[in-house]
Amino acid sequence: MANRISHYLDSFKTCLKIDSAVRDSVTQELYTHLEDKSQELREGGLSEEEADKVATEALGPPELIAQQIYEVHAQGGWQEALFAALPHLLIALLFASYYWQNVICLSIVLVATISVAIYGWHLGKPVWLFPWLGYYLLPVIITGILLIYLSQGWGWVAALIYIPLALFVLIYIVKQTAERDWLYALLMLAPLPVVFGWLLSLGTPNEFLTNNLWMGRLQTKVPWIVVSFIALAIASAAFIRLKQRWCKTTVLLTPTATILAAVSLACRGNIDFWGWLILISSLFAFATPAWMQARS
Amino acid sequence: MNYGRELLKGNTDSLLLCLINSQPTYGYQIVKELEKRSNGYFHFKEGTLYPALHRLEKDKLIRSKWQKLPNGQERRYYYITEKGQQVLAKKLATWQDFSAAVRAIIQPETT
Repeated sequence: MANRISHYLDSFKTCLKIDSAVRDSVTQELYTHLEDKSQELREGGLSEEEADKVATEALGPPELIAQQIYEVHAQGGWQEALFAALPHLLIALLFASYYWQNVICLSIVLVATISVAIYGWHLGKPVWLFPWLGYYLLPVIITGILLIYLSQGWGWVAALIYIPLALFVLIYIVKQTAERDWLYALLMLAPLPVVFGWLLSLGTPNEFLTNNLWMGRLQTKVPWIVVSFIALAIASAAFIRLKQRWCKTTVLLTPTATILAAVSLACRGNIDFWGWLILISSLFAFATPAWMQARS
Repeated sequence: MNYGRELLKGNTDSLLLCLINSQPTYGYQIVKELEKRSNGYFHFKEGTLYPALHRLEKDKLIRSKWQKLPNGQERRYYYITEKGQQVLAKKLATWQDFSAAVRAIIQPETT
């Protein structure tokens, strides 16, 4: 492959953040186009270097073509949008119907969630799977937080072993996701600040395990919890349906940051130092992909 | 504003569907064929071709398949689908009505 064409296609591939199989196929298609054009120009009397230059210039800026191709492939269908919104809607439904207190209903939701994960994995990790993955990260993080709060004596040894392992798993999953596209990491992490915001507004981890005061606080907040998860569902569906990357970023950042800010301000009296640290960390983890996106 | 370019932009889908309907073809051949059939009038911006083809494929109006040429090289050939033929028929009918109406206005019959 000639240097100019190779450089052109490298730029194109770098800019095109879509499924790698599709990206390779489109790149190969552009390569054949450039080869055909260059060959014809060479037959017309141009040198190889000149022919490659004219061929790449005729095709246009690689960033522009990548953006246009991205907009075609990045827009998911309504079915995908529904699947992406479904985990948030399920949480909203659980709270709205008060079924979160029913072990059988919780078990059904858990089995359904695991089945969806297996199905999505089998399909090659489509975009709609990422909001579901966000919820799978929650138990890993919550276990780590409880260990920090409750460890005494040998418990600290368990915390010291568990936390680096959990962090390694989390960073690995986020990194793997972000390598495919930073926006997918954003979609995956969107529920975390909201969930932590609500959890910390109900009480400290000690209170969760030692008394039922948090139950009373939860009852008064159920309508707002439902609204916030419906907002997340709408944002996730819009993320799938939108074409432009900046629109996708905005549609996820706005409701998540708004919900978190509202919950934090309304319940600032209940949140201790560690709670604020957890909230700020989750917001930081959530905003990092958006910041990386803005830089690229 | 370049009026010719705007017209081409508005009719890109019809032109692409029409060419692919004539025979299965690939990207570079489409650019050449458009220029040839229009006697050089349609000079397609090459970079805009592939997003348009991919959009048509996503809308299931065409489908693509990598095929080997006699010289061993591979090209991505595009084929029109049944849905694509139906959409093309509608677009052509609309275009013919439109162009007949425009012609009737700008070239009134003198009897």
